[in-house]
Amino acid sequence: MTERPIYITAATHISMQQPLDEQWLTEPILHTEPYVRSIDPNFRQWLNPLEARRMGKILKRALVTASEAMTRSGINNPDAIITGTGLGCIENTELILEALCRDGEQTLKPTYFMQSTHNTISSLIAIHHRCHGYNSTYSHRGVSFDAALLDAFVQLSLGDIATALVTGNDELTPSYFNILKRLGYVGNPRQVPAGEASAAIMLATEPGDNPLCRLEQCRLSYGTPPLDTLPRDVDTVMLGINGHDANDELYRQIATLYPDATLLRYKHIFGESYTASALGVYAAAAIVNAGVIPAAMSLDGKASSAAAPRRLLVVNHSDSRCLSFTLLSKP
Amino acid sequence: MEQLVEELKKNIIEVLNLEDLQPDDIDAAAPLFGEGLGLDSIDALELIVMMEKNYGIKIKDPAEGKEIFKSIDAMAEYVAAHRTK
Repeated sequence: MTERPIYITAATHISMQQPLDEQWLTEPILHTEPYVRSIDPNFRQWLNPLEARRMGKILKRALVTASEAMTRSGINNPDAIITGTGLGCIENTELILEALCRDGEQTLKPTYFMQSTHNTISSLIAIHHRCHGYNSTYSHRGVSFDAALLDAFVQLSLGDIATALVTGNDELTPSYFNILKRLGYVGNPRQVPAGEASAAIMLATEPGDNPLCRLEQCRLSYGTPPLDTLPRDVDTVMLGINGHDANDELYRQIATLYPDATLLRYKHIFGESYTASALGVYAAAAIVNAGVIPAAMSLDGKASSAAAPRRLLVVNHSDSRCLSFTLLSKP
Repeated sequence: MEQLVEELKKNIIEVLNLEDLQPDDIDAAAPLFGEGLGLDSIDALELIVMMEKNYGIKIKDPAEGKEIFKSIDAMAEYVAAHRTK
């Protein structure tokens, strides 16, 4: 593979923190409820009502974060738009399934039908911005975003494309939260809130005027976690610890590999979701760019004395079977 | 008929998610598609579903649909004459 430098030239989010903003770096909102929905911006600043009326929340959020990433990076027509989503447009999916149960198949609303598929998100961004390049969607539970990021990373490294918008989007309905809670995945004592995620990250092989950071490595594996492949020459490690023992055990093992690094966690700030890692990578890029480590994210109390991070490793896993890591560095 | 026109306006606002509009903002005689409300082909599908669900009217002929959905007044006349529920 050709070694081309890849940069994150813009990144933004809509989540349980102030939307489209890095206020969480200094004043994070710490939620204590088990289920927290995203804080939405005023969508009318980006979408006219006639256009937005058919869109569910996830589509509005995806479109706004994507549009913001394009504006901030100055890349209005990326070569690829790649989305990771665990549940897709689950709200519309539920609406059409409820209608099927209630009314049968004869009088289903076409809008819910059209917008209940996973790939609606990436295609809507492309249609809205008239981007006719590569368009793809990955839906692989907790590594959906990681798969999307890896796809972009490989294509950028090979020189097939020069720019890529990678997004991670998930919404969480009350009924789906209740299912996850009954199964014991969320809502447990000491566990971080279950939330929603919408993050958009612009990647490019040219740094542009003000890149947030460099994307050095990106890996995804399935099976017994190959911990020996994790990069060791890093000063900061961001882990997806969420307060659930089944999830955290692997992170605890990984933490022991980095006795000298500053250890961070992010899910108590941004919540747990199938695409929480999108917010993790976004947050990591913002931290490298700002050169500060928020004390609230420190896992081991070293953050207050830590130097500005220069090489930050984001580690994510899904059910301890799919392990991914993303290495960011100061450009 | 006036009551049916009001009911149709409310139903259309709800079904098409025209959240910025109130029933009084809609001119019952104005075209629904193109000018006027500016509805499109997906809205036409939604209206067909709404006619069947709310009034038991099945619209199968596209040419007929064009006339029925000309305006809210035209819809109201058709509903009054053909409704089964």
